[in-house]
Amino acid sequence: MGAIAALVKQRLFIVFVVAMLVFLALLGRLGYVQLIQGKWLSGKAEELWARNIPFEAKRGEILDRNGNKLAYNVSAPSVMVIPAQIKEPAKAAKRLAAILHASETKIYREMTKKQLIVRLNPEGRKISEATARQIQAMKTPGIVITEDSKRYHPDKLLAAHLLGFTGIDNQGLAGLELIYDQQLRGQRGAISFSSNARGERLPGGVEHYIPPRDGAHLQLTIDRTVQMILERELDQAMAAHHPENVLAIAMKPQTGEILGMASRPAFNPDQYRHVKPEIYNRNLPIWKTYEPGSTFKIITLSAALEEKKVSFKEGFFDPGFATVGGAHLRCWKKGGHGSQTFLQVVENSCNPGFVALGQRLGKQKLFSYIYRFGFGEKTSIDLNGEAKGILFRPDRVGPVELATTAFGQGVSVTPIQQVAAVSAAVNGGKLYRPFVAKAWLDPKDNHIISQKKPIFVRRVISEETSRQVRIALESVVAQGTGRKAFVDGYRVGGKTGTAQKVGPDGRYMTDNHIVSFIGIAPADHPEVVVYVAVDNPQGIQFGGVVAAPIVGNMIDDILRYLGVPKRTHQIEPKKDPLEPELVKVPNLIGQTPDEIQNSLSLFGLEVKGQGKKVINQVPKGGQRLKKGSTIRIYLG
Amino acid sequence: MSKVQRNPDWIIIGTILMLLSIGVLMVYSASAAFAAHKYGDPFYFAKRQFLFAALGVFFMLLVAQMNQTRFQQLAKPGLFICIALLIIVLIPGVGILRNGARSWLGIGAFSIQPSEFMKLALILYFSHLFIQPRFQLTSFRQGLLPSLAILGSVFALIMMQPDLGSGTVLVGTGMILILIAGARKKHLIELSFVGIAGFVGLVLAAPYRIARITAFIDPWKDPLGAGYQLIQSLYAMGPGGLMGLGYGMSRQKHLYLPEPHTDFIFSIIAEELGFLGAGTVILLFAILIWRGYRVAMMTTNTYHRFVAAGITSMLMIQSVINIGVVSGAFPVTGITLPFLSYGGSSLTLTLVAVGVLLNLSRIKR
Repeated sequence: MGAIAALVKQRLFIVFVVAMLVFLALLGRLGYVQLIQGKWLSGKAEELWARNIPFEAKRGEILDRNGNKLAYNVSAPSVMVIPAQIKEPAKAAKRLAAILHASETKIYREMTKKQLIVRLNPEGRKISEATARQIQAMKTPGIVITEDSKRYHPDKLLAAHLLGFTGIDNQGLAGLELIYDQQLRGQRGAISFSSNARGERLPGGVEHYIPPRDGAHLQLTIDRTVQMILERELDQAMAAHHPENVLAIAMKPQTGEILGMASRPAFNPDQYRHVKPEIYNRNLPIWKTYEPGSTFKIITLSAALEEKKVSFKEGFFDPGFATVGGAHLRCWKKGGHGSQTFLQVVENSCNPGFVALGQRLGKQKLFSYIYRFGFGEKTSIDLNGEAKGILFRPDRVGPVELATTAFGQGVSVTPIQQVAAVSAAVNGGKLYRPFVAKAWLDPKDNHIISQKKPIFVRRVISEETSRQVRIALESVVAQGTGRKAFVDGYRVGGKTGTAQKVGPDGRYMTDNHIVSFIGIAPADHPEVVVYVAVDNPQGIQFGGVVAAPIVGNMIDDILRYLGVPKRTHQIEPKKDPLEPELVKVPNLIGQTPDEIQNSLSLFGLEVKGQGKKVINQVPKGGQRLKKGSTIRIYLG
Repeated sequence: MSKVQRNPDWIIIGTILMLLSIGVLMVYSASAAFAAHKYGDPFYFAKRQFLFAALGVFFMLLVAQMNQTRFQQLAKPGLFICIALLIIVLIPGVGILRNGARSWLGIGAFSIQPSEFMKLALILYFSHLFIQPRFQLTSFRQGLLPSLAILGSVFALIMMQPDLGSGTVLVGTGMILILIAGARKKHLIELSFVGIAGFVGLVLAAPYRIARITAFIDPWKDPLGAGYQLIQSLYAMGPGGLMGLGYGMSRQKHLYLPEPHTDFIFSIIAEELGFLGAGTVILLFAILIWRGYRVAMMTTNTYHRFVAAGITSMLMIQSVINIGVVSGAFPVTGITLPFLSYGGSSLTLTLVAVGVLLNLSRIKR
């Protein structure tokens, strides 16, 4: 019994020691969890407790250069569901689904999510006021209507491709909305508080408010009125010529600021979902690449003038073709232009004349100028989807390629490249990078936060060469193929272009052209460069006939709107037997109707009001009108 | 042998009173939110805990004054009554089903867990058995096997509820008694292999136990399922740090930790009172266990020695497993923390067991 008692005591002692060691180990485990893992566990626990009530930042507005709103936010109600508060989800889902025209099973699934707040995308987002009232009338706890906002475009289609559009969460999806999404979006704020497992506020929890930072307003270089002029003319062109598409760009040549950029077909950014993606994804003025045709001759001309390979007075004989490397390159005019000066070569857009200029420059020089004018690379305008175009690889350029390139065939360029290049050719020789975003404004007080300065890329030709190019372009309009772009007093200069399109088989298509016109005005100091291209117009496919008058109308309205004074000196237009002569309007103010009846033989007369004498007239005296036009007089 | 009456072990009484006070205060803090949410009375659990603690202390002191020969007389009838109760509790409609286990007998608040009584009954019976002259624990057939058979049958009955927590405590206590009472080393080593095999078998038998084991290894693998309780417990203990968030400042008790006033009371203690507070609780348990084994060492009566060792071991196993579970050292099993968890009848019963221990501490040579 004694031996057993000793054994029992010994075993008892062992158990006691082991028990103490286990308690020590537990203390160690406790210390490890609380003191070593404590911080990490606290962080994870905070995540568990934290409930964020988001405060959306207001998206910045998009304004034109004068502060007109092109895109802003309007409030749109949205449905929010708080699953924890819904008593009968099946019933509530059925009623809500009926109001929202949504799938009942989907709504039920969303409603029973283990989540603090559920938004019903997309059926329950940005709904109409009427629908919102219907939902409020349900008076179901846990279904609430909240303030949300959506993008609104007061001018509908205006500048749609530039502006782009936003998605359901007001995130930029296309256009400037996408490119400048970060700044426009601002920063979402939140009220953050700790909560218990039922989403109720936790006593002693951390709570803080992070205020949202509204997005900055984006001011564009775009002028709303200029944009409207462009789009109005494009709509008319669509109606008149039924082309596949049309596009236009207006740019300030001195800075690279885009005043307007548009294309048709277009879309309403508020309803982009109803439009095919290729319509809203392709911003044609920067996306489209094609053979420029004769507008490209401005580059050849600039290079030849700068390199002093030609003077305007020098003579040239056009037999109607040029033979290069055994190939016959025909002039667009059957039989050719015969004997002419080089200024007339430009006016007539004579192909053999430009082949000669290309040959005088040589492959090296001509291509170096083409590259320097910015072709073959993106202009890096701040828009998405810009194309690069295709030039001949220098080692593949033989005499034929050199000759065709000189008059704008065999190269592929974008409209924006042409506008930037021609701007450089006429603004004194400086190439600028085109841009659309002009400034960022503080959303609180509209103060300028940052402003973009014009980006000078490089000098391409001298001031003097540029001046000569302007003269040549003005005479193209006054005397040559660009006659239909003539606007009296605005000294429009320009160049037509008619290019064959390359079909899917890689060969030129017949009777399918892109006709274009690039215009500058006024020629002594260009305020605007306007480019229009019409793709496959029905009827006559010639740039001088289809595109030139559109550009003429645009320039007329734009310069009038910008308040550019009419010039008294200009290259007078060549008399055309088919076109009525321009005649100066006499000043009629102060005269009696009888006196006028006797003296006015060249114009028609429209009389407004009652009275003895003329107190006003439209147009004013001294302006010029086509013979046979009507003058309106106001009596009083 | 002359028996001298002396005062009971005051250190045990002091430790128990401190643990009970911490228990009532922490049950209030941990349950207030849950009680207000469920019963509309934040004091619902705290009031009951206080009443059961007071009742328990009364019984404890009563038992501490009892004639010691009564304990041994109770051994056999106690065991049979408890076995009968364990069988009755399994009958559907008689036993009350709570949390998936049919462990309760009685009506409403006045319900008891037969398995709780079984623990004490087993200690008394084993101690009685081990001092029988014909009983030889060193012999496999005449000692070890019969005691293992009793332990196994009782464990099997408890596992039919099923209640792995009580079962584990029961088997652990029984095994320590067998160890202390002088079983052979060779047998013990062989037994431990059988035990491991049995444990693996039990785990494999119920899929939810495998999930608990894997959740214990990496609770974040299934944070909303098997790992949920452990993660929530760690989220309470971690932020507690050294000093704790302060009394009443627990965040995890706000419906994150399920029933924080019962099995997971220690997590809330660690959260509100920090490492210092929770460490103190561990220290109090260590002191209690030390004094309990000391009672077993000091007594001269072998039967008393076994009873004291058994009660102490029971308290030790239960507190170690509970603290180990909530701090992520062991896989989750449902075991309450003695004196601290809200428990009602089981709290009273535990205090009665301590009363026996106190009684035995009064005997001196």
